[in-house]
Amino acid sequence: MSTERMKTEEFWNPEHMVEKFWNGLKDGVIYARKCKECGAIEFPPHLACNSCGYHETEWITLSGKGQLKSFVFTGVLNARLELEDRGLKYVCGEVQLDEGPSINAVILGINKKKGREIDPKLPVRVRPVFYDMGRYTTLFFELDE
Amino acid sequence: MVRNVKLGKNLRSVSIVGIGATPFLNGVENPTYKGLTNGELFGHAALDAMKDAGVEPRDVQYFFHGSANPHVLNGCITPNLQVADWFGMRGKGSLSHSEGCCTGYIALEEAVFAVASGAYDIVLTGACDQGTGMPDGNTPDHMRVPLTTEVLFPDLDSIFDRAYGRYLGGGPGMNHDDWINYYAKENNLTPEQIDDILIHQAYHFRRAAALCPRAIRRKPYDELAAEAGYDNVWDYMKSPHNPKMTQYLRTSSDSCVADGAAACIVVPTEIAKEFNDKPVEVLGTGASVLDAIVPHLEKQATAEAARQVFELTGLTADDMDLLYVNDFIGSSAFLAAEEIGYLPKGEGWKYVLDGRIAFDGDKPMNTNGGRTSYGHAFGASGMADIFEAVTQMRGEAGERQIKKLPKHVFLRGFGGAQNVRALILEANF
Repeated sequence: MSTERMKTEEFWNPEHMVEKFWNGLKDGVIYARKCKECGAIEFPPHLACNSCGYHETEWITLSGKGQLKSFVFTGVLNARLELEDRGLKYVCGEVQLDEGPSINAVILGINKKKGREIDPKLPVRVRPVFYDMGRYTTLFFELDE
Repeated sequence: MVRNVKLGKNLRSVSIVGIGATPFLNGVENPTYKGLTNGELFGHAALDAMKDAGVEPRDVQYFFHGSANPHVLNGCITPNLQVADWFGMRGKGSLSHSEGCCTGYIALEEAVFAVASGAYDIVLTGACDQGTGMPDGNTPDHMRVPLTTEVLFPDLDSIFDRAYGRYLGGGPGMNHDDWINYYAKENNLTPEQIDDILIHQAYHFRRAAALCPRAIRRKPYDELAAEAGYDNVWDYMKSPHNPKMTQYLRTSSDSCVADGAAACIVVPTEIAKEFNDKPVEVLGTGASVLDAIVPHLEKQATAEAARQVFELTGLTADDMDLLYVNDFIGSSAFLAAEEIGYLPKGEGWKYVLDGRIAFDGDKPMNTNGGRTSYGHAFGASGMADIFEAVTQMRGEAGERQIKKLPKHVFLRGFGGAQNVRALILEANF
């Protein structure tokens, strides 16, 4: 551990990481953090590294491209109401970004027929969708065909 | 995630010497129970546990109150101080905690720490939730109305990471079917086979609940099928009477929401037999917590928590005689059993189809019926499982008593998107 502790003055003007992330999506930029020790990508961005447990990370940007590795359809018990309300076709699945990190994600534009078509071909390529939810823009994905 | 936690031995061993539980019930529709409050339910379970341990409220030094969502379900954020007077513990120290549906398992972990540290000798720990209803506005506690999906569903989002996860892919969607979908692909099982496995599991857990007086759903599926005019129970379970709620889960694999409370008394093992001639020692608790944005989180956290507690105790899954899995997502039961090693990898589904996981099988699980039949009073469910585990270890489970008196019991707690705990209990008599 470094002997350089955070100075009080630094905390008077701290970086707003969550705000930066969501503002980035509005501009079509995907922010993440990179561990200064092991190099793993922390996504979405946090202060420290969850891959190796080191305390320091730094900003990078991601392409948002990656692979859909698995997915499920939702039903009445686990539907995403904000997407249902908008009449969107979607599945929920594991997306591994090209830079390494894997997250649970929403993939738009997949109906039952399309789902049956891509299921035996997994993993398949996906690209980012910067989706305007009204008061914020979020990150979904779509098939990169 | 970093997997380097090595659990240390507690400063002193801790044992369960008293257990208590209300039935799981519907407190807004069933006239027998309508109007009962958090203080009354928790109080009955607490006093039941004290009676079992042979102590009076005056003897108990500290207590924990667990509930999954006291604000929405009971209109309070400090339930510990609001229930203390109900069982004679006014003025004693206490703590409220809330870890979603894992609350009841963490209730035991916390109480063990309190005694193991040497701070207290006699501790009550319990959990209570009233999942069927909510306060009828700003009125006294007995005035409750049914919990509506309009209130519950948006509020459920509050278990997901608010900085990012719930607005990305970490909200609802993956949490129910991710693991069973992964398992189906890993083992080349068709959706039809998965359907068969899950209805068989629900069928056998209901058989246990039918013999468990405290369970909320006790009518066996054979009877339900006959009443609906079906000769074959499996046809009934694949019929519109048991519709799909997610891609894989039918209603029979969904938890049955309930009200209820359960509690236990823990003391140092060295004096446990002064309270009860059948004390149950808590050998250890493994813990892992992952937010819902992490792929395959339930599988990963279950494996990690189990690793910790097996390493601590030196025991293996082969030493376990009985398993409880918090299965408000029905498929979790046999999937977690495999991940822990209680059922062989890739073979668990065969054990389910053959009924071997039933209370009268050779690999018994969820002998109270689990969340899909015993019911799910959210935070209280884990403590209800501990109640049942101790009952089985004492050989007091009546018609649903498993064949071999269990020496070791494993409990896998899960909840709150998602906390996981892995507890091992040992019959110390």
